[in-house]
Amino acid sequence: MNEEQKQKYKQKYDQAKQNGVKFWPDIIYKDLLVSFAFFILLIGLAAFVGVAIEPKADPSDSTYVPRPEWYFLFLFEFLKFVPGKIEWMGTFVLPVIGVLVLFALPFLDRNPLRHWKNRLTGVSIMGVVVLGMVGLTIRSVITTPKNEEGFVANTPAGKMILGGELYGIYCVECHGPDGEGGVIAGVEGMEGVELKPISSRDEMYTRSDETLGAIIEYGQQDLGMPPFGLAYGGELKKSELDAMVFFMRYTWDDRAELPADAASAGAIPNLAENEIPSYEVHISKIIQRYCISCHRPGKENNNYLMGTYQEILTTGDNAANNLLAGDMTSYLIQAINGESIFDESGEEIIQQMPPTKLMKEEYISIFENWVLNGMPETAADAEVLTVEVTAEE
Amino acid sequence: MAENVFSWLDERLGLKAIYDTILDRKVPKVNWWFTLGSASLFLGIMQGITGMLLSVYYVPTPDHAYDSITFIMTGVQFGWLIRGIHHWGASLLILTAFIHMLRVFFYGAYKYPREFTWITGVGLLISALGMGFTGYLLPWNQRSYWATTVGSEIAGTVPWVGDFILRTLRGGTNLSALTLSRFFSLHIWIFPAIILATVGTHLYLVIRLGISHIPDKDS
Amino acid sequence: MPSKYRSPVMDRRSFVKIVTASLGSMMAAIVGLPVIQYFISPALGKTGSDDWISLGSLDNFPFDLPTLFNFNITQVNGWERSSMSYGAFVLRKEGQDPIVFSDVCTHLSCRVNWDEENKEFHCPCHNAFFDANGEVVSGPPPRPLDQYEIRLDGDQLFIHLTEG
Repeated sequence: MNEEQKQKYKQKYDQAKQNGVKFWPDIIYKDLLVSFAFFILLIGLAAFVGVAIEPKADPSDSTYVPRPEWYFLFLFEFLKFVPGKIEWMGTFVLPVIGVLVLFALPFLDRNPLRHWKNRLTGVSIMGVVVLGMVGLTIRSVITTPKNEEGFVANTPAGKMILGGELYGIYCVECHGPDGEGGVIAGVEGMEGVELKPISSRDEMYTRSDETLGAIIEYGQQDLGMPPFGLAYGGELKKSELDAMVFFMRYTWDDRAELPADAASAGAIPNLAENEIPSYEVHISKIIQRYCISCHRPGKENNNYLMGTYQEILTTGDNAANNLLAGDMTSYLIQAINGESIFDESGEEIIQQMPPTKLMKEEYISIFENWVLNGMPETAADAEVLTVEVTAEE
Repeated sequence: MAENVFSWLDERLGLKAIYDTILDRKVPKVNWWFTLGSASLFLGIMQGITGMLLSVYYVPTPDHAYDSITFIMTGVQFGWLIRGIHHWGASLLILTAFIHMLRVFFYGAYKYPREFTWITGVGLLISALGMGFTGYLLPWNQRSYWATTVGSEIAGTVPWVGDFILRTLRGGTNLSALTLSRFFSLHIWIFPAIILATVGTHLYLVIRLGISHIPDKDS
Repeated sequence: MPSKYRSPVMDRRSFVKIVTASLGSMMAAIVGLPVIQYFISPALGKTGSDDWISLGSLDNFPFDLPTLFNFNITQVNGWERSSMSYGAFVLRKEGQDPIVFSDVCTHLSCRVNWDEENKEFHCPCHNAFFDANGEVVSGPPPRPLDQYEIRLDGDQLFIHLTEG
């Protein structure tokens, strides 16, 4: 800009000021209204959307799909288009050039005119860049796979629930539903091995949380216990190991006290008088503790999976006879009552279930009650049945 | 009484002069887009306040960072509010600052005599992104851990000195307690100091030169 | 501004002043009041402990000699568990219930020691002395050593630990 142009600009600006307003109150007033709107928005976001709960950082869990804060997503997405050999062009050279151009903009753009109609080139370049950034951001949001939104256990109640579930899946087949140990039955490679209890006072008093966690994480190969930690070939993340140890400690250690609400979380609910059990409230909880350890994919279980309501009703080699509404000769009912089932040739096709030790009497009767009432899925389904029964009386 | 106090203070502090130069001055009539600068300032102040408050409970070590934030969210009264404002404020601040920059660009306000104001503004935007990058790691959760792993890996691709930059950024080869504490230091001391100085310059220039006017078709 | 838009009650400037002041104080209050709660929150929760601590059999404590018994209590502060150490001097006298003194000096909470030679409790911080019954002999403490409430269950001695 030459002196003449500078003078001309100053003149124009002075004129605009003459026709203008006072900084206080006019400008401040507008600014304040907008800031206040942002303030309300912030409070609203904090109160109603909140901050998502994430699991604790776990260097051994590399399954996590990294995703930067949203305002870096465009750069992240852009890198997908840069060939590996010249990656540094995309990660370093272009961003640095971009920043430098931005800094130097007043010196690169020597055009003295300011209205956008007189700066079409510059305005269009900026427009394309901004649209590109927005487009890349959107594309990134769409194409990046979502992380499994697992249940994040960071409260005592949450840890009890998660820990109990995991214990039911991974530990029960050998250690039993209450950590009582005993002679293992029906586990490949461990048949007939006798385990000492892991829930005893001795065990709880002499092993710290760190020790318990380490045993589960690394396994005890000589004793037949496989490693469960992700870093050692298992399936469990750090946070899951923590939850499992938390569950064991607070369920079995008589010195450990837990707030009442957390202690009852995840426990198998008792059946109220006249209440009809449902899959959702009772059966799924019992299965989680007593059955799922073997009745999940990849285990020897006559192909009978018990992960969901549908699976329980429809899977297995004996699916046709496993669960019959109102029928006490359903295979499942017979098996949990300790009876073996034989086919026509007299060969045992189902042994007693659970194979080592029958469940508590009350759980067996919950199962029977459930089958007698036609195996309702949800609490609402069961409620309807309850109402009908009382209406008939 | 109030008048006496005021005149006593004015005599010593020059309040009237400040009022005359900063508040009671003529500026061009402008539209609502011109409010985004002060909105960014407002959000920045909110970040400062809530950030200071978070540091009351936050502990920047891998052992405690996650638990201390869980404690802020569940164990401290209104901790969720303070963290919520800080979390969302960061995103809003980047957004408003960016749109503020687009407004300045669109009206050609970076031209004479406001070139230096623009440079400080770009500096502020970059620093805000730096705050975002360093702050992202502090909760020490899966999201922040892996995003920072990849983010610092990107710095590692710079030719020749990449590995050196990577190790400087992480304070070692891997993400560790050293990474967390240097990110924390950057986030609460170094970047804020830079931002404070730059915002001071930026505002001084805005007041000294006046806010730009909306250009007409001939200019 | 054309005069027909002018309010008869107040001019624009005072209106803006009022709006500015009220929005400003509203924001200050919405953030400020929670901030006070945020700060004092740890002081409000349930604090301290209320437990009967077992000191074991009375036979462990000799007659007429204040004997120190140390014990640890685990406390959860925020998210962190820490072990706090406590000390109690048990003094048994023939034919009387035992007396259990806290080893915390009533002056400024230093720990007192039993000086067998002079038969006194001595607090090294500000040179205070208590006699075997906990009474102040000399020095700055405002009152005798604190005593724990005790309970005897057979020959098992328990003390009542209340804090906060």
